[in-house]
Amino acid sequence: MHELSIAQSIVEVVEARAAEYNAAHVKNVRLKIGEASGVVIDSLTFCFEMLASLEPTLAGAQLLTDIVPHRAHCRHCAHEFSVTNFIAQCPTCKEWSDEIISGTELQVLEMEFET
Amino acid sequence: MPKLTIAQNILAANDTIAQEVQQSLATRGIRTINVMSSPGAGKTTLLERTIARLRGELAIGVIEGDIETSADAERIEAAGAETVQINTRGACHLEAHMIRAALKELDVAHINLLFIENIGNLVCPSDWDLGEDLRAVVVSTTEGDDKPAKYPQMFAVSQVMIVNKLDLLPYVDYDVEKVKRQALAINPQLRIFEVSCRSGEGLDAWCDWLFTFANGKS
Repeated sequence: MHELSIAQSIVEVVEARAAEYNAAHVKNVRLKIGEASGVVIDSLTFCFEMLASLEPTLAGAQLLTDIVPHRAHCRHCAHEFSVTNFIAQCPTCKEWSDEIISGTELQVLEMEFET
Repeated sequence: MPKLTIAQNILAANDTIAQEVQQSLATRGIRTINVMSSPGAGKTTLLERTIARLRGELAIGVIEGDIETSADAERIEAAGAETVQINTRGACHLEAHMIRAALKELDVAHINLLFIENIGNLVCPSDWDLGEDLRAVVVSTTEGDDKPAKYPQMFAVSQVMIVNKLDLLPYVDYDVEKVKRQALAINPQLRIFEVSCRSGEGLDAWCDWLFTFANGKS
């Protein structure tokens, strides 16, 4: 349900840039979303489209998402590995890692617009 | 068609306010804990018992988050803490701007420990930084013992876990060791307290730790 708040924040970020660059219409917005960010992409897209439809500059804009895998670095054996179910245990040496490399991103990457 | 690189965190606006809140609390020497759990795990009762036990030793303030009603703020105030109620009117989590507004209403002059009781929800609150020093998640023996595995993000972002309602263990199928094992697999640094707010079991250890935390020693 917090996807609505996140979608609202995306709209605010994009609207500010659209105004700054005199964009007449935003065609698409690309996001970088980490696997472990707790965001459901379908819900986020639904909320974004709903909020975007209320803004003339954003109506019909497409939301594109790059999913970033949840990965960690092991300081004991220097191995990089995929984190499954938030359990960052190194598959090589079995030590737990507290060095998360990626997967928690919640970022607006770029947008395409017409002037 | 022009393409513009933005590369901005979606929650940057929240994080900026959270930093402002954190600085303003730090300047006043107030240490802050964001308390999160599913509905009914016992956040408010834990705070009531904690306030009663630490009265005279620590000046505690509480920002009470609920979707509706001021019932919890009334309970906390009756326990003897300075309290401000936030009603989110449907929103599933607290955000930093709500804390900034609540702090204007709270008499912070004499407080050394501030609790922010988040909305009862094991999912949404974990994405929002409120300017706290520490996050504590409360689980209870009536909820089922698979919560850390099912809601891992909450346990990954917390530094403390409190297992409440130990007094009910004879009546429920709840494996405390399993919960601890799951939680520590997600977050090996998690500090764990096992308590019963009803019987008082475990509350001494929790309050002793809080006392040192509030004094900036842990």
